[in-house]
Amino acid sequence: MNNEAAAPVGATGEGGSPYVIEMRNITKMFPGIIANDNVTLQLRRGEIHALLGENGAGKSTLMSVLFGLYQPEKGEIYKDGKKVTINDPNDANALGIGMVHQHFKLVDVFTVLDNIILGVEPNTAGFLRKKDARKKVMELSKNYGLNVDPDALVEDITVGMQQRTEILKMLYRDNEILIFDEPTAALTPQEVTELMQIIKGLAAEGKSILFISHKLNEIMEVADRCSVLRKGKYIGTVDIASTTKEELSNMMVGRDVKFSVDKEEAKPAETVLEIKNLTVKSRIHKKNAVSNVSLKVRAGEIVCIAGIDGNGQTEFVSAVSGLEKPEAGSQIILCGEDVTKKSIRYKNTHGVSHIPEDRHKHGLVLDYTLEQNLVLQRYFEPEFQKHGFIRFDEVRKYSEDLIEKFDVRSGQGPVTPARTMSGGNQQKAIIARELDRKHKLLIAFQPTRGLDVGAIEFIHEQIVATRDAGAAVLLVSLELEEVMNLSDRILVMYEGEITGELDPKTTTIQELGLYMAGAKRQKTGGGDNA
Amino acid sequence: MNGKPAKTKKSFSEFLRSGGVGSVVASLICILGGLLVGFIVLILLAAFAEDIPFSEAFKGIVTVLGGPFSGRDNVMFQMGNMIFQAVPLIMTGLSVAIAFKTGLFNIGAPGQYLMGAMGTLIVALSIPTTVVPSWIVWILALLTGVLLGALWGAIPGFFKAKFNVNEVIVCIMTNWIAANIVSWVFKSTGDKFINIAETKVNFIRKTVTNGVQTPTLGLDELFGGSYMDISIFIAIAIAIVLYIVINKTTFGYELKACGFNKNASKYAGMNEKRNIMLSMAIAGALAACGAALWCLNGKQDFKWDTYQTLPNDGFNGIPAALLASNNPVGVIFSAVFLKYISVGGSNLAAQTSFNEYVSPLIIAVIIYFSGASKLIKDLLAKKSTVVPPKIPDRVDYYKVAAEIAEDKAEAAAEAEAKAEKAVTEEAKTAAVEAAADPPDPPDVLPGEETEKGGTEE
Repeated sequence: MNNEAAAPVGATGEGGSPYVIEMRNITKMFPGIIANDNVTLQLRRGEIHALLGENGAGKSTLMSVLFGLYQPEKGEIYKDGKKVTINDPNDANALGIGMVHQHFKLVDVFTVLDNIILGVEPNTAGFLRKKDARKKVMELSKNYGLNVDPDALVEDITVGMQQRTEILKMLYRDNEILIFDEPTAALTPQEVTELMQIIKGLAAEGKSILFISHKLNEIMEVADRCSVLRKGKYIGTVDIASTTKEELSNMMVGRDVKFSVDKEEAKPAETVLEIKNLTVKSRIHKKNAVSNVSLKVRAGEIVCIAGIDGNGQTEFVSAVSGLEKPEAGSQIILCGEDVTKKSIRYKNTHGVSHIPEDRHKHGLVLDYTLEQNLVLQRYFEPEFQKHGFIRFDEVRKYSEDLIEKFDVRSGQGPVTPARTMSGGNQQKAIIARELDRKHKLLIAFQPTRGLDVGAIEFIHEQIVATRDAGAAVLLVSLELEEVMNLSDRILVMYEGEITGELDPKTTTIQELGLYMAGAKRQKTGGGDNA
Repeated sequence: MNGKPAKTKKSFSEFLRSGGVGSVVASLICILGGLLVGFIVLILLAAFAEDIPFSEAFKGIVTVLGGPFSGRDNVMFQMGNMIFQAVPLIMTGLSVAIAFKTGLFNIGAPGQYLMGAMGTLIVALSIPTTVVPSWIVWILALLTGVLLGALWGAIPGFFKAKFNVNEVIVCIMTNWIAANIVSWVFKSTGDKFINIAETKVNFIRKTVTNGVQTPTLGLDELFGGSYMDISIFIAIAIAIVLYIVINKTTFGYELKACGFNKNASKYAGMNEKRNIMLSMAIAGALAACGAALWCLNGKQDFKWDTYQTLPNDGFNGIPAALLASNNPVGVIFSAVFLKYISVGGSNLAAQTSFNEYVSPLIIAVIIYFSGASKLIKDLLAKKSTVVPPKIPDRVDYYKVAAEIAEDKAEAAAEAEAKAEKAVTEEAKTAAVEAAADPPDPPDVLPGEETEKGGTEE
């Protein structure tokens, strides 16, 4: 294990390197953009090293270079002080580098065990020896506290267990360097706590860990050191013990960032959205995903639906926006008009803006350019078309305007294919589009998912601004901090029902947590309020 | 004055970046690859057949490449026929291309083609031109064929939109249903449409027998008495219109959006189900229009017992569309090219020692390669990402952002300078008040102030 002593003295005089992985002066370019500009990253043995940066700062690109998915234009990679070339993930694997991707790479219809051994199946003359594999997996699972059911199908298990499966996959391959690409993005708060424990345990066992994130709290909690990237450039590396959240965010964004939202007292006016007895059937189970929900959202207030993922929020918003049909008896009233059976186009043109949950599935046409995406709901308006012909110069002007106003960064500006943009900037593009459209109601589903603190601050400001301009905001969020910070009223959704209405000024995160977990509920019978 | 040329220049550079050039290069590589493999096939044949010398392989590939130009003394005649034969292929190519744009694979072009032919022939042959002017019959026949094709194309579209049934399955089904319907209709109507005057069997009467014929404007004479008529211009016009519809209109924007991402289109309020049906109906209309133009030439024999074979031009629309990367204007060239090669192929059989089975083989190889154009385009694109990009008039948003930040900093500095002035003045008055104090505090104070301001910004 301990080959530090045995490490050969390199010609460069840097032998016996304290670094298990060293990436020196990495430069990686894409059309119109330098994703990594002379970036250096040094990972010590047994440490948890966080890689922090804004969306599109080049974190994922750097890790993809390390994992062999991209070849850098310049720069070298050293393993234990020896120069290596990594041409593909197989090379990375041979060097003991493993990666848990943001979107898991698992075969849904295989069992956990089959997924773990996939590609390195132990066999005798082509016949599987699963018994050995199972033994090894169970040992690893026990040693590292990675609780999985080896015989469950991946499609049936929770996201947390899928992630543990991914971690076991790396351990099974005896990987020494473990890369986690934004591992907490899809997890519930409980699962996040669990993951933090697991990561600490792995480091204690001598694994070296690269932890990509833009969530400062997590980095402060788990990491030993942190390297910061900004706009593709390397900013610096700091010891977590001797730094603060504020300093990190300053390094990342290049300025001070506010963590709380400045907003005045809400001045609720007339009711904009009223929902009566909304019931939506589930596609997964036999019960209703949303049952009998009634609520009101008034102009000038932000109402937040809080809850743990999968408690009917998706179906609720789909029904309100029109993507899914509600059951009979449900009523959606927009500014006094019953729009339950109206088309999505009708709602779009009558004051509903919608920041969707899934930006790739609903929010963007990825093969369209940025400017084409920015007029996705407006191309037919007289401003952008004449006799059915699109007015390209108007579209260009409009999109350039939005890009500047909302600081949407991309390689080629308006003509950048949406697919090539970073996740955060894709989200910014959607938010720019939705907030710029005339709206009386803004439905925002996790509007800051996957964004960095700078962008979150900006989006929160924008949402408050649209509230102050007199729009009603229906926010759905899974992040407790966002719920507490941004909302004027909190409605908790648990198993498809509104189980409580809370005032963010008087309630605590702990109490909210109890409601979200279903341990507590109000008797009002579904958040009906005036 | 400066604005205009700059704008056209910009759109040209965009065109370069749009991958259009990549598509053309990829298509050319495909064609070359196909020809090369075709040549190898000829060499192998020459090697294994004792009676064919190696020189024949060389002569063979030159003959294929020469297309109508290798047709010895009747070059113009072959050229005219090639252009005329390309018309239905252009139309089926367009049919496949527009469906592809909406994310649908229209493999039902042969069926739509047959239905179009049936509709056109029935109208063209059953309305007597002694009563109705022949040009009106011509238009009616064309419209009937097109309408029938549109309906036929809409069937898979309907099943796709309503029940999410894979369009490929329904298309294949409707192909054979069409083939049988056509046979059944013509058989049951007996002698009304079938050509019995000539010795040929299983053919429908030529529409010229009823005086219905596409105007030739003397083109047939010009091209050595070939079948050439004005239908090629109609096909080109339709291709250009389609190009404009797809790229310049809101309708095209919607169709493409639905093809790329059905869910996002729905989210944006587009009627994605209507668009799927419309796209398939238009595809059907285009394929049927190809059949109608072919039939209405007047001198063509339509074989009616179609129940065992589907028209080649229907299927060949797929390579025509692929070779053109689904660009409607590109389809004109790819379709003409495919016909060019096939004329060369028939000359190959006529003029060299290779038999008539070899030419379809060579053509098939080339068509096969054309299917790889997407792959080659992707490879080209991948290769180009490694090269550091040199995009001419790209707006550097970081630079712009930096400039904006600079402007802001300047403004802030100005404001600060004002504040400083106020401070110095205040200090001065203070200094005056303090009378003769040797260390001058104002000198230190503003300096500190600016430094602090700088880090804040």
